[in-house]
Amino acid sequence: MFGYVRPRCDKLTQAELDAYQAAYCGLCRTLGKQYGFPTRFLVNYDMTFLWMLQASLRKTEQTTRCRCPARVCGSMQCFRDSEGYENAAACTVILCWEKLRDDVRDESFFRGLPSRLLSHVFRRAYRKAARRLPDFAALTANQLEALRKLETENCASIDAVSDAFARIVSGCATESSDPAVRRPMEELLYQTGRFLYLADALDDLKKDCQRKRYNPLRFRFSPEDGKLAQEDLDYLTQLTDSSVNLAGSALALLPLRSFGSLMENVIYLGLPSVFEAVKAGKFQSRARIRFSSGRERKAGGRHARREK
Amino acid sequence: MRDPYEVLGVSRSASDSEIKSAYRELAKKYHPDNYVNNPLADLASEKMKEINEAYDTITKARSGQSSGNSGSSQGGYQNSYQSYHGYSGGSGVYAQIRSYINANQLDAAESLLNTAPDRDAEWYYLKGVIAYRRGWLDEARQNYQTACAMMPGNYEYQTALRTVQGGYSPYRQSNYQSSDMDAACDICNALLCLNCLLGSRRGC
Repeated sequence: MFGYVRPRCDKLTQAELDAYQAAYCGLCRTLGKQYGFPTRFLVNYDMTFLWMLQASLRKTEQTTRCRCPARVCGSMQCFRDSEGYENAAACTVILCWEKLRDDVRDESFFRGLPSRLLSHVFRRAYRKAARRLPDFAALTANQLEALRKLETENCASIDAVSDAFARIVSGCATESSDPAVRRPMEELLYQTGRFLYLADALDDLKKDCQRKRYNPLRFRFSPEDGKLAQEDLDYLTQLTDSSVNLAGSALALLPLRSFGSLMENVIYLGLPSVFEAVKAGKFQSRARIRFSSGRERKAGGRHARREK
Repeated sequence: MRDPYEVLGVSRSASDSEIKSAYRELAKKYHPDNYVNNPLADLASEKMKEINEAYDTITKARSGQSSGNSGSSQGGYQNSYQSYHGYSGGSGVYAQIRSYINANQLDAAESLLNTAPDRDAEWYYLKGVIAYRRGWLDEARQNYQTACAMMPGNYEYQTALRTVQGGYSPYRQSNYQSSDMDAACDICNALLCLNCLLGSRRGC
């Protein structure tokens, strides 16, 4: 589920890439500070985007340096924004914990064992996060329950299932009560959530067909050997493109004060390229974005992105 | 009212042509054509109004200062906007449904639609609009297609159908370079191991 919402790095300027890295590191740092070291492993690009989107309504944040446990020596630049980060971190913990619980329910005893163990590791963190965002925790639990119900019914409406999921994502808009900001924000996150669900469904289609598990695309399009016909694939692409367009039109209505072009990059370039990669079967949700470290830049030899 | 220069995103010292191009750029962005049936259409139209007023204010102020600049070009977008605002009437029930949709009362619109006597092209179109506003794009598209098939040549239905066919997006670029995503690990391996466990398994 995680890793689909990311910028297209070759179209970012160095300054934007640095800002993105600082946002990522800031979230990781907050997770560690608030919920203990193990939760640092939950940091991901999607939640980085979520934080940036909400932070983009404010003036550019100040940066500070923080120690990175993933590096033997050296520190990383990161933003300091206590309030926003704390909400984003709470969302991250809640979503990850619910996902682990979901895996435990879905899988057989042995397959579900790792998730079961991990969910015990994160239980306390979850409780703390749920205390911070009780509404969001309840919403997530309810929507996942609804989603499971649709799945057991083998629901063929991709709208209904992605709606259940997209509502969770739009619930991540925890800041700002002004409707002129909140409505576009929720719409943007809703469409992003819809995109996420569909991309994930397409990515898992083959596996789900082999293991005879529920996948909305199986019932909507009846694929053969875990592959959609070209015609259906085009149709699905048009659907996700429409989601991208709707998300973009919502983004245009947000009063952005910083990170504007980065947000546009994620929506207009990042999402479509991720979908293309998923279609080609090349998407790796665990692929890392390469941030250049300060030392490399001082040496001046290497560039932030890999050139091939 | 906000500072008109701030609304257009230009400095006070900007030249007339700079202001005009900034105005055009914004007007293109928030043009009602981009927000056909969009749930945020009302916000976009407010924004459009704000931009028009800002441009109007600036041109008026400037034409006061320097003679010869009439600043009459602003009306264009506003007029074309007016013609899109809200739906044109229609027979009783459908007009009522359209006004519900415009007010974003989708549940009321849907329940009224379900009581409508016959299922003609307009019925399917409105069904599609309600689905579209909810973000249910698959359902919206099916209904739009039915409406278009029942009444080919209706401009409104065809425009609506185009909005769910992906269509043109100025920033869209299809060539995807997988090299961006190469697993160039700069965070320790433990993280990858844990990620394997959390993994990409389906679920939430």
